[in-house]
Amino acid sequence: MNAPANKFAAYICSGCGLGDVLKIAGLEKVAKTEGKMAVIKTHPFLCNAEGVKMIQDDIANDGVTHLCIAACSRRAKAEAFTFPTVAVARANLREGVTWIVAEGADHDEVRQEMAEDYVRMGCAEVKKLILPGGNKKESSSKKILVVGGGMSGMTAAQAAADAGYEVVLVEKTGALGGFANQMWKRMPFNAPHADAQPTGATELAAQVSANPKIKVYLNSTVAETAGAPGRFAIKIAQESGSISEELCGAIVQASGFSTYDITKLPELGGGQPNVVDQAGLEALAKAANGGPIKRADGKEVKSVVFVQCAGQRDDSGTHLPYCSGHCCGTSIKQATYFKDQNPDIDTAIIFDDLRVPGMGEDFYRSAQTKGVTFTKGKTSKVTGGESCSVTFKDLILDEENTIPADLVVLATGQVPNAGVELDDWTATVAAADNGDEAAKEKKTALQKISVLNMNYRQGPDIPQLKYGFADSHFICFPYETRRTGIYAAGPMRRPMDMHQATEDAVGATMKAIQAAENAALGRAAHPRAWDLSFPTARLEGCTQCKRCTVECPFGAIDEDERRFPLFNEERCRRCGTCMGACPVRVISFENYSCDTVGMQVKAVNVPDEDEEKPRILILACENDAYPALDMAGMQRLTYSAFVRVIPVRCLGSVNTIWITDALGAGYDGVMMMGCQKGENYQCHFVKGSEMAYYRLSKIGDTLKGMGLEPERMQTYEIAITDGARVAGLINEYVAQLVEMGPSPMKGFG
Amino acid sequence: MTASIATNQTILVVGGGIAGMTAALEAAECGKQVILVEKSPTLGGRTSMLYRYFPKMCFPTCGLEINLRRLRGNPNVRVMTMTEVSAVTGSRGDYNVTLKVQPRYINESCTACGDCGKAVTAEVPNVANYGLDKVKAAYLPHGMAYPQRYVIDPSIVGTPEGEAAKAACKFGAVDLGMQEETLELKVGSVVWATGWRPYDANKIQPYGYDRFANVITSLEFERLCDPQGPTGGKILRPGDGKEAKNIAFIQCAGSRDENHLRHCSRICCMATLKHTQYVREANAEAKSTVYYIDIRVIDRLEDFYQNVQKDPNVSFVKSKVARVALNEANDNPILHGVDTEGYHRYATEHDLVVLAVGMEPEVVGVKLPEDIVLDSSNFIEGSKSGGMFGAGSAASPLDVNRAVQSATAAAMRSIQVIHKTASTEAA
Amino acid sequence: MTTANETAVAKYRNNFLKEVEATVEEGHWVKMCMQCGVCAGSCPFGPHWEHSPQKIFMMIRAGKREEVLKSDSMWMCTSCYNCMVRCPRELPITHIMHGLANYAYRLGLSPKGQPNQVIAKLFWESALKYGRVNELKFSLAMYFRDGFVQGVKNALAMQGVGLGLVKAGRLNPMEIISGHTCKDTSGIHKMIAKAREIEDRRRGLA
Repeated sequence: MNAPANKFAAYICSGCGLGDVLKIAGLEKVAKTEGKMAVIKTHPFLCNAEGVKMIQDDIANDGVTHLCIAACSRRAKAEAFTFPTVAVARANLREGVTWIVAEGADHDEVRQEMAEDYVRMGCAEVKKLILPGGNKKESSSKKILVVGGGMSGMTAAQAAADAGYEVVLVEKTGALGGFANQMWKRMPFNAPHADAQPTGATELAAQVSANPKIKVYLNSTVAETAGAPGRFAIKIAQESGSISEELCGAIVQASGFSTYDITKLPELGGGQPNVVDQAGLEALAKAANGGPIKRADGKEVKSVVFVQCAGQRDDSGTHLPYCSGHCCGTSIKQATYFKDQNPDIDTAIIFDDLRVPGMGEDFYRSAQTKGVTFTKGKTSKVTGGESCSVTFKDLILDEENTIPADLVVLATGQVPNAGVELDDWTATVAAADNGDEAAKEKKTALQKISVLNMNYRQGPDIPQLKYGFADSHFICFPYETRRTGIYAAGPMRRPMDMHQATEDAVGATMKAIQAAENAALGRAAHPRAWDLSFPTARLEGCTQCKRCTVECPFGAIDEDERRFPLFNEERCRRCGTCMGACPVRVISFENYSCDTVGMQVKAVNVPDEDEEKPRILILACENDAYPALDMAGMQRLTYSAFVRVIPVRCLGSVNTIWITDALGAGYDGVMMMGCQKGENYQCHFVKGSEMAYYRLSKIGDTLKGMGLEPERMQTYEIAITDGARVAGLINEYVAQLVEMGPSPMKGFG
Repeated sequence: MTASIATNQTILVVGGGIAGMTAALEAAECGKQVILVEKSPTLGGRTSMLYRYFPKMCFPTCGLEINLRRLRGNPNVRVMTMTEVSAVTGSRGDYNVTLKVQPRYINESCTACGDCGKAVTAEVPNVANYGLDKVKAAYLPHGMAYPQRYVIDPSIVGTPEGEAAKAACKFGAVDLGMQEETLELKVGSVVWATGWRPYDANKIQPYGYDRFANVITSLEFERLCDPQGPTGGKILRPGDGKEAKNIAFIQCAGSRDENHLRHCSRICCMATLKHTQYVREANAEAKSTVYYIDIRVIDRLEDFYQNVQKDPNVSFVKSKVARVALNEANDNPILHGVDTEGYHRYATEHDLVVLAVGMEPEVVGVKLPEDIVLDSSNFIEGSKSGGMFGAGSAASPLDVNRAVQSATAAAMRSIQVIHKTASTEAA
Repeated sequence: MTTANETAVAKYRNNFLKEVEATVEEGHWVKMCMQCGVCAGSCPFGPHWEHSPQKIFMMIRAGKREEVLKSDSMWMCTSCYNCMVRCPRELPITHIMHGLANYAYRLGLSPKGQPNQVIAKLFWESALKYGRVNELKFSLAMYFRDGFVQGVKNALAMQGVGLGLVKAGRLNPMEIISGHTCKDTSGIHKMIAKAREIEDRRRGLA
């Protein structure tokens, strides 16, 4: 609620040619008579120092609390028009009007009407805006929980401690080190990339254990994760049966990987004597301790063959479809274990594509220098036993070949230890709740697999993207998580080698400390970083339909004991999906609500049908569609002056009331512009676009009830690069509406 | 020493591409003070010159928009464009940095209205399109340019054209008297996110990039396919403007080669697989042929490869192409070589050849201090005193995703340096 | 007495790559090949060979000893060095080709009557005997290698070239009788013998 002290002001810019093609006096009049602004000022160059000073002075001396800036797009001159102590709305007269309406006197009338509507909308919006105050939490924890004590986890713990943060490190086994403890050596990280190197796991484990900032729990698992960033309440179950509790600010999950089960590869000798996977070879090398590597039966290995892509890159659906990335380098490294000890040992690597990107090429060369031989081929059969053999098609010589070996190493892939797959979990829980006994057992089993045992209603672990890896969906944002404050690192995020895993751990730790810092200050995490607004619900109007809790892409909303939604503000990413979902419109943000948009919809002057000026509402995703519309303006493309654009945080935040209100008020059509959905979706709020399409598919009946054609509401996938396309789509749609004739609702609004 | 160390809690990020922006933003969103310097007039770097990203085929500007919004909303980052680091002295936690700022000839009053561009007739090669077309000598670098301000090319300063630009500006934003400036500042840590550049294709003589109009680089191909590019997204041959329908992609053009770049540039295989899909998008009938040594697409990028393999319009030949000749009659390049899978000699005519050129560390405008440790291909491994870090493709040939990962880690390491400096002061 | 070939087979068991490394000039480079095939495509004689260098290298690794040593492919090398200049791994391919040819010849496995081999043999015989090459005898020996009748035909076919060389002073018909030698042929012979002894010892052939 706005306090009585609120003072509203409109600042109209006449620069950039606005004053040449628009009647500024008309805009001022709209702001005064309809917008009811207390202060109205026009400036020929509002964004320059003088213009900005004028506004600052009004804020400081005249008590202005709410500004409507009628000038350029909200994406332009953002620095100049940043006034942190007041609420600001922007009316886009430049990119949104003068740059896109066709030039010439013929268009003066519609151009002016468009500009006046944007001023009306800006004034209407600003009246409903509340400057978000943020919600600082003095008691917020900045301690970092690291789950998993392998190389990634230890690296993360050390990284956080080195930056001054307290760390809790939980490791399920009795020692730190993880998979690295089973390894003889690692691939080189630095130039000259020539020789295998000690893993350094023992040293790092000692360093981590001795660090006073790091509290290590061995033989322990996370029994429960509750709360939110800044206040994660972690229950740590120890082997002794005792439970420790830790309050943490953010979490790095580095739960590692398992090796693909070699016995699933019988055709490649999996399970037969003297056929091992890469982990098995590490064990033999570790046992040899630099001496001759011996097989399990004690025989010294004189010849070894490495079979790459064993059970990987499989398009038959039987084995792993992906490439684990590290295995070519790992086989090269392991072949040099033999060569470094005894150059006379025959070491052959049979590969399809030898994948050692970057400086790995140097390591490849080094192994060749040492006499490791490389054969491009596809292995069809491996026989284990006293004397092993490998049958393969030599792709260079184009012939079948069989070579003998004392030992065969299968380069199998990494399987992520990312915990429970959430769709599986949801289905299992639903079945168990229906009394299915098998499902109940499975639920118990899944709980054991779970890494974090989160008490979120969406399930106990972070969502998995593909093949069980808990990766980010985004190329530009590898740490964009769907559970705020929890960041995946290492091979459970993506298959990777140790070098990448340790880099990854440092990166994930960066995000974790950032999440902890910002949670304490009430600031949102990526992508609306530092947004101080948060959703509140008028519970007295809530019908407990649960749509908000189900649809929140980030698992931010729980239910309280009375079954009302309970917002965990620190988990919230401020997308507004809950607001869009709410059928009774009780959810709102201080600066983004059903009212801030709804009042803009209502503020537009909808012409009567005899004026032959259709009105089209465009709700445009602020990240892709709105910039695309700006681009159209910057390129001076023209589109119809009959549209009125409102940027939205996400199409998922669109409440259908805006659409029905608009159509009810006589708008002739509504265009919804969101980002690409489907497998390669681009929505940074995961499924906002998808959700909007789904919701809107349901309002056809409502439209029919109003006597409206379903075509009066259209949805579009718009990419940020679609400047030209979006202009074309608008013009096509307007033409289509003209063809259809005016909305029958006109005059009833 | 402690006193001077203690004064400096700022992180300097050099390079405003995706890695530099990421490093700057991650540190800044954690509450640290950051200076982000970029030598060109806009942030965005090379990724803003890509049409789409693999494997999602989404648009680089989508992520750029998010990063720019983060930047605009964050008071902790100070962005300086047209700025190079000319010297760094000192050590971990206590660096003295000299910055050289080139004149933009446009001041902060610019509203990007475009009047100066209209007033100028002189044209200069369009850097955003790798010089494949031209822009006015008063120009906005590209649609997503940040800062959103025009630039006056130095070539028209002191000419009537420059005066025309000045006269056209209603806001006094054109300042032709701007001079190069030098600034000194102290920082605690430096992230070098100075990026990469394409290997000079002229050096790969047998492929005839310098001789044949219809042999182009993969970077130029990105621009040809982009609707914002010089051909409006049509794949037209530079030689004669005809639509290319039978395109060859030559992998490892300069990479994995002792005569050129010793390392594997990592991204080129996926970039080419992506390009085959550009070809399909532009013309469903057009064919792509990929000449390769190994297809190096690791982890889940393998999906993309498997899908492209199923595409009947794309074929693969395991061969490093020996040389490119010219069919004089139609200007078609003819590729000569041997398919090593079973030894099949070929002389295949294509209408366009795209060289998947390798990545090498950018050197233009990059003056690395002595303290920096480089690997055998001059990528940054770190620094001797541990206060400076490489990020993104300055540190290794990386794709966008891994460059961002690397930059996020670099931000963390810088924060560690700052923290250590601060705790030394406290002690 | 076992032949040099049998000795080599026994010594290197079935590891032909090791044998090549030990006995063939620049043979230790073979393992560095990454099968890109640029050598094969760069070779101007490529269409006339059975096995390209890169394929020969793969065959060596695959232990195809007989096939490699009996191949005529390395005899086709004209030392243009295109492959060496282009090889991304900097393999001295030209030298390896000659080294392999030489080794095959020494073991008695090289293809009989392969023209390049014949010409090389005649060239060196002349050079080793006289300390220089007697062009006339050398040419005639080439022409008559397949018998007298064929030799006359060859000589007649080439007579225009021959006369031209005579006129230019590049070919002296009198050399059919004596031919000039270098000043100290016996010194040359001793030098060559010693060099061969050292080389054989190095390669383990002696």
